[in-house]
Amino acid sequence: MKLTVNGETREIAGTESLNIDETLVTLKVADPLYVTVELNGTILEREAFGTTQVKDGDVLEFLYFMGGGGQ
Amino acid sequence: MSLRADQIERYSRHILLQDIGGKGQEKLLAGRVLIIGAGGLGAPIALYLGAAGVGTLGIADADMVDVTNLQRQVIHFTPDIGKPKVVSAAEKVRAINPDVTVHPHQEWISAENIAGFIADYDFIIDGTDNFATKFLINDACVLGNKPYSHGGILRFDGQTLTVKPHESACYRCIFSAPPPKDAIPTCSEAGVIGVLPGVIGTIQATEAIKYLLGIGDLLTGRLLTYNATSLTFREIRIQRNPKCPVCGSQPTLTELKDNSDALNVCELETT
Amino acid sequence: MTFVKTKLELEKLIAGDTLEVLLCEGEPLSNVPKTAIEQGFTVVENVHVKDNVHKLVIQKREGSPA
Repeated sequence: MKLTVNGETREIAGTESLNIDETLVTLKVADPLYVTVELNGTILEREAFGTTQVKDGDVLEFLYFMGGGGQ
Repeated sequence: MSLRADQIERYSRHILLQDIGGKGQEKLLAGRVLIIGAGGLGAPIALYLGAAGVGTLGIADADMVDVTNLQRQVIHFTPDIGKPKVVSAAEKVRAINPDVTVHPHQEWISAENIAGFIADYDFIIDGTDNFATKFLINDACVLGNKPYSHGGILRFDGQTLTVKPHESACYRCIFSAPPPKDAIPTCSEAGVIGVLPGVIGTIQATEAIKYLLGIGDLLTGRLLTYNATSLTFREIRIQRNPKCPVCGSQPTLTELKDNSDALNVCELETT
Repeated sequence: MTFVKTKLELEKLIAGDTLEVLLCEGEPLSNVPKTAIEQGFTVVENVHVKDNVHKLVIQKREGSPA
């Protein structure tokens, strides 16, 4: 299936559906514990990662904490 | 209020602009902005807002200028090392523009004092370096109904979002709670390219100016991300989250409290 | 700077009002009428008064900058 991930097209071969947890692993997302996931414009609850399925054509945004700025 | 002859000259490039003019410049001079953090982001923010003639600038930071700051915190100079950052920053702003009244607040922001701080200002800017304070600023601004600008930087990446409480998504609509301490690297551990806070900070300063003028479209409902390596900006639409703990339909966070790592993270790590 | 000062005066007017400005030849005379038109005002009159001084009458109209 083809997904749009942070604006780029990503192809995941050999499957037509994965849940969010599996998608994070498959796409080798850094620090999956602390990433916020927006699926087709809606921010997902972390508890729903295991039960939310991603399918062909979906648009995903992985949003990361960025804390610097002061010191 | 009417502009003095020297102010007409100083702000002539603003006055020429259709969306600003003399009336807009008077709004800036009457404007009050609080900058929390006089570091990488706070430096360009304070310099540009001061130069622009924002009449009252609060600058809050308890820290002292350190030699490692000077690679990016352009408001502090080598002879300022050891001086309180707010004193150093206030000196520069006053030197650029004597029209500006600067209120230096040399203390850490906490759940106890933040509401009192923000109440006196029209617009708040988060230029802090730790999540405990970032979340506290968000919560205080949402509960106190103050518009504010979030900014964050790390390595070659930056992000910024403007929040109009109860109208647009807040920081907690995206990130419901602070990450555990040490989970996310800080600039002092992971590094940051020195020009990065200049890019993000000047965007935050632009938002403050637009808000005071009442012009244009604020960066609300859109998280702007920037990557310096690829020189790409991206805008991610963010809707208000009905389950947001502070601005959702059934908020669980109705009073301010310090997070367990409310002390400055970098400070703890370097001691 | 001449246009900056002119613009500050124009801001005080309401639509339909006119402003009379005395300008010296050279940069002010070449800049002020041009910029006034660019910014949405109408130049009603531009006449030579004496020596190198010109009189410009600028009108604020509906849709001119506030």
